[in-house]
Amino acid sequence: MIRYENINVTFGDFVAIPQLDLQVDEGEFFTLLGPSGCGKTTALRTLAGFVQPAAGDVHIDGRPVTRLPSDKRRVGMVFQNYALFPSMNVWENIAFGLKVRKESKAEVDRLVRDIARRVDLSDEQLEKDLAALSGGQQQRVAIARALVLQPKILLLDEPLSNLDAKLRGQLRIQLKELQAQFGITTLYVTHDQDEALTMSDRIAVFNHGRVEQVGTPQEIYDQSATEFVCNFIGDSSRLTPDFVAQVNLGAGSDLPLERSSYLRQEKVGLQPNPALPRSAALDGVVVSRRYHGVHSSYTVSSHGSTVKVMQREDGTVQPRVGDAVTLHVNPANVLQYTPDGVAAATPDVAAAEVTLR
Amino acid sequence: MNRSGVRGMLRSPFVIVTGVVLAWFVVTFLVWPNANLLIATFFPDGTLTLRAVDKLISSERAMRSLTNSFLLAVVLSVTVNAVGIFIVLVTKYFDIKGARLLWFGYASTFIYGGIVLAAGYKFIYGENGIATDVLLRFFPGLDPAWFTGFFAVVFVMTFATTTNHMLFVSGALGKVDQQTLEAAKSMGASDWTILWRVVLPMLRPVLFAVTILTFLGGLGALSAPQVLGGREFQTIAPMILTFSTSLTSRDIAALLALVLGVATIVLLVVLTRVEKGGTYFSLSKVSSELVKQKISNPVVNVVVHVLAYALFAVYTLPVVLIVLYSFVDSRAIESGELSFGAMSLDNYARVLGQSSGLRPFIVSVVYSGLAAVISVVGLIFVTRILSKYRNWLTTAVEYLLHIPWILPATMIALGLIMSYDHPNLLVGNIVLTGTTVILLISFVIGKIPFTLRLLKASFASVNDTLEEAASLMGARMMYIFRRILMPAVLPTALAVGALNFNSLLDDYDTAVFLAHPLFQPLGLVIKANTDGAVSLDARANTFVYTVLLMVITGVTMYLVYGRAMRPGKGRRRRAGRGVLPTSGGASVAPVPDASTRPGAGVTARTATQPSAEVA
Repeated sequence: MIRYENINVTFGDFVAIPQLDLQVDEGEFFTLLGPSGCGKTTALRTLAGFVQPAAGDVHIDGRPVTRLPSDKRRVGMVFQNYALFPSMNVWENIAFGLKVRKESKAEVDRLVRDIARRVDLSDEQLEKDLAALSGGQQQRVAIARALVLQPKILLLDEPLSNLDAKLRGQLRIQLKELQAQFGITTLYVTHDQDEALTMSDRIAVFNHGRVEQVGTPQEIYDQSATEFVCNFIGDSSRLTPDFVAQVNLGAGSDLPLERSSYLRQEKVGLQPNPALPRSAALDGVVVSRRYHGVHSSYTVSSHGSTVKVMQREDGTVQPRVGDAVTLHVNPANVLQYTPDGVAAATPDVAAAEVTLR
Repeated sequence: MNRSGVRGMLRSPFVIVTGVVLAWFVVTFLVWPNANLLIATFFPDGTLTLRAVDKLISSERAMRSLTNSFLLAVVLSVTVNAVGIFIVLVTKYFDIKGARLLWFGYASTFIYGGIVLAAGYKFIYGENGIATDVLLRFFPGLDPAWFTGFFAVVFVMTFATTTNHMLFVSGALGKVDQQTLEAAKSMGASDWTILWRVVLPMLRPVLFAVTILTFLGGLGALSAPQVLGGREFQTIAPMILTFSTSLTSRDIAALLALVLGVATIVLLVVLTRVEKGGTYFSLSKVSSELVKQKISNPVVNVVVHVLAYALFAVYTLPVVLIVLYSFVDSRAIESGELSFGAMSLDNYARVLGQSSGLRPFIVSVVYSGLAAVISVVGLIFVTRILSKYRNWLTTAVEYLLHIPWILPATMIALGLIMSYDHPNLLVGNIVLTGTTVILLISFVIGKIPFTLRLLKASFASVNDTLEEAASLMGARMMYIFRRILMPAVLPTALAVGALNFNSLLDDYDTAVFLAHPLFQPLGLVIKANTDGAVSLDARANTFVYTVLLMVITGVTMYLVYGRAMRPGKGRRRRAGRGVLPTSGGASVAPVPDASTRPGAGVTARTATQPSAEVA
């Protein structure tokens, strides 16, 4: 459906994207995830035609579109701030592209009303000024405006970053539902890992213009392919060789000690997990505790490592700062990386679709 | 800002002293002269009479001036917008080679305006003008007085009053979100469609406001029609001046001033509505900066470039010629010759060295300096009270202080003459006309609204908690004022003072009514020098005055607005650096603050003042 092939983007001396190869399938909700300045928005804008790559090609449906102007690529875009035209009302905003295409008046009205209904905008709202709409309604206008032209691809550039936390949560669901309803191939840019994990079919994690890993949310999280991905997604603790040695000793595993090792905070427990019998038990002391309501975050000092532990607040008595505790660690949950930052080859990780460089 | 009752407010001795002085000033100089004008026109003998109206209608000259003024206002609304929008687009929107240079050329109206500009154009294009001499060499049949009448006035005022566009339309354009352009482009809109359907509609409120300001400028124009209009094209303001000189026709002058005043009020009410009607810019929290648009059609691109540079020439030619000719001796100016060998500093030596040459300059500097200091210092105290206490009394006072803002300068001047040309108890039975004080008073009056608005915004930006903290620690009101508030508002006060000084330096519109015959400020002398029958050196002197004024204005503008006003990348992102307040109060409105309204005449420069927008 969408293919980036050897894409290179530079702005003057600055290389935004050195070399990008990426494939997005038909109907997919595909997310470009990464910290700000990592090149994810540039990649999206290259597809939209706002950025001209110095080298490489973008293909849509097998056809190269690199030289096509953006309106000929059949992509619809929802901008970070929606980019709604403030001088027009809702109806006029949605109708803009149709009028540019010189569709008949009746047809424009029919299509506008049709798409508005599908994104849940009422007829009264169509006559309103944009300022009279809430953030969520404005977003639906932006989506309707993009979809009314029946694009093959919908591009979303951090469309939720503009909103407060609660609305963001609601719209995440609505957006995903709308995408499922229309079945349109969607490319989504965000720096918010929660958004990426909950909404995407697949995610590409960007760093310094390169793709660190492509995979399903679960692959990205559980089998982070690189040290960067491991650190960027979720919350994990870096383990000392001494700690890893103790795990090997307790569980009878043979994790190499010279590699960088990480342990996610929810994959270590203060109680033994009967489902994971091959766990090692390590002594530690509680250094601090942060209470979150649903859970508490503990910091436990153990064998030179400062290990973060997430403990569910289920009403049982919890340890306090200074208490001696036992950490239960399953060696399978220890993420390891070679000095160049690449995941040590475990069978699982090798199976993940990794497109490096 | 706490809501507090009138009674509580009046317990403070500071408030009482300031209040008494303020009340006297408001009644004596803001309310009574204008009320008196109204009374003298319609109730000269205590009963209502429409004699003035009859006289006006039967005076062909007066009636024609009315039509002319409205015609000028309407035509200017079109021409100024056409030129103004064009220069804003080529400097800020389209990708034009040398846009920076163009901007500096178009910005020449920032440093000279009013009578100086009108005189400059006359010296260059008028009879015996430098450009006219050159033209006559090529077209011997040309009427030497070709640059006169309606055409000349429209031409000069069109290029003189695009300052508002440079300030406000540029500012508004800068707030247009690049993403909206990209959105339109991604939906297939052409360059033209994007400009016409997306960008210009977003500028509609600011364009509307600027149009009203232009309309008002045309309506009240004084210096341009006077200098360039000739006998055929006279407008209201010059007519008021003419009629006011004789006692028998003074009532016609007053009535014309009232017509001007009513038209101004009506239009300003409309403008205020527009300001309230909301703006188009607050939609997005994260907007991306506008990127200069390439004109994709090569033919259009060339045409736009050519037009842009042609306008650049129109804007800069007078400035360049004035500067060059200020170094050339009077005889060479007369013959229109210009050679570097003939250049010297003789003109400057004469103007600055001889008392007759220097005198008008000193008179203007003293008047402007005094008026700037008095208006700022006085209003700091007043504004402090107005912003600390909010009740019906302070609100009413604030409205009254805006009188000079809703009435044309011509009307206020006439009101002062008609009220204080005989002993009046309000001013201690002293006759004010013919003294040196009356011009100073009217300068101060004219600067009140602008000073008040900016100072108020500045006071509003001081965090209330600072004052509360200081008073909790035992500081008294005056101490807080001196140590906490003053340092915070001082930069604004200085900036406003400098701008006031600047705009009064070449004042003509007020001085022509009120100046003392022995203390003629610069504006009057420059105007007199345009009349022809003056000494050979007069023209050279005017060039020197103009250059000196441009230098003073340029330096002040740079000090006040600094780097923020220069074009270039990221300019608006650094917008907070200017001296004038950028938050609170009226000064941040994307629509021109109405205190920018030009008074009568080609007061391009006064219009640049309240542009916290550019600060």
